[in-house]
Order: sequence, then structure tokens, then C-alpha cells
Amino acid sequence: MARVVNQVRTLRFLAGEMTQAELGEKIGLTRQTIAAIEQGKYSPSLEAAFRIAQVFGKPLEEVFSWEA
Amino acid sequence: MAYREKTAWLTLVCMAVAYGIYFPMMALRETPPTLFDILWSFGIIAGTQAAVVIIGHIVLAAQAPGAAGRRPDERDKAIARRGASAAYYVLMAGAILVGVVMPFTEPPPKIVNTALLAIVIAEAVNHFLVLLSYRRGWHG
Repeated sequence: MARVVNQVRTLRFLAGEMTQAELGEKIGLTRQTIAAIEQGKYSPSLEAAFRIAQVFGKPLEEVFSWEA
Repeated sequence: MAYREKTAWLTLVCMAVAYGIYFPMMALRETPPTLFDILWSFGIIAGTQAAVVIIGHIVLAAQAPGAAGRRPDERDKAIARRGASAAYYVLMAGAILVGVVMPFTEPPPKIVNTALLAIVIAEAVNHFLVLLSYRRGWHG
């Protein structure tokens, strides 16, 4: 089944082991929502996806991609 | 488990216990209940349930002060919308049953209790879907 996949866990690790709570705090989401995004249990809104990419200084397509 | 998930569990369990007592009690009566019987019994049970839920919310909020004060984020709102939207259809079906069909076939006390049951089922569906969405994920 096609789905949105992401590199959020890897990017957090590369950003000095940023915690889910810290990332959530920066973009206005809860720690549980960040965990759900990483596990592929929730696809964030476009706005939230852009905010996450902005935190890591990456273009959107390097953080989120479409896996067919 | 997230604070909002815990409060959904609390509400659902309290509803199951409260109305698991009320509706069998009404159904097993030998004589049909009067409007006063219904209002009195439902009032006591709904009031007790509300008090337990409020106390439970206070206890849960005390255990997680940060989470309780936080505004719901986009996932919380999407999950709440999903539950409310499904509950709306359940409530509509109940409204059609008690407002269009039952007045021609059933006595008033049964219509009143069926209306209350429709509200309770709709609310239970709402909380059940909220819990399911938190547990299994939500791609809305």
C-alpha cells in the first residue's frame, strides 16, 4: 500500500539526539504526535510537514516522501 | 498513554458502567416507567457518572499537569473530528427511529428511553473511535 514515509527519527538523531518533546515544542505539536508521525501512524498536515523540515533546515522532500 | 487517551478511556468506561446499569434496569421493570421514574433514575445515574468523570479528570490532570493544560494539536483535533462525525450518523439514525418510526408503534416511555439510548450509543461510538485512532493511528 502506498504511504508517506519520513526521516524524522534520523534527522532528530543527527540534530544531537533532539527529543520528540523538543521537536514538538518547536512546531506546536505534542510528543505523542511526533511519535505517531515517526511510526507512520499519522500523516501530518502540509503546514506541520513544512515546519518539521524547517527545524532541520532541509527541503520537504528530504524529510517526507511518497512510497508507492 | 497520552492524557487525552486516558480521559477518553475514563469517559467510555464510566458510560459503560452507568448506562449498563440504567438501561437493563429500565428494560427489566415489570410495569412501564413513568416520566418521573425515567427522569429520576436517569438524573441520578447521569449525575453520578458526571461527578466520577469530573473527579477522574481532576486526578488525571494532577498526574500530568503539563499535558492537561496544553491545547489540542492538529492530530488531537483530527481524531476528535473523526469520532464526532461517526457519532453524528449514529445519532441521526436514532433520531429517525424515535422521531419518525416509534411514535406510531411504541408507548412514550419506550420512546424516551430509546432516545436516551441513541444519545448514549452515539457518544460511546465517538469515544471508541477516538481511542481506536490514538491506538492504531489516524491518516485523515
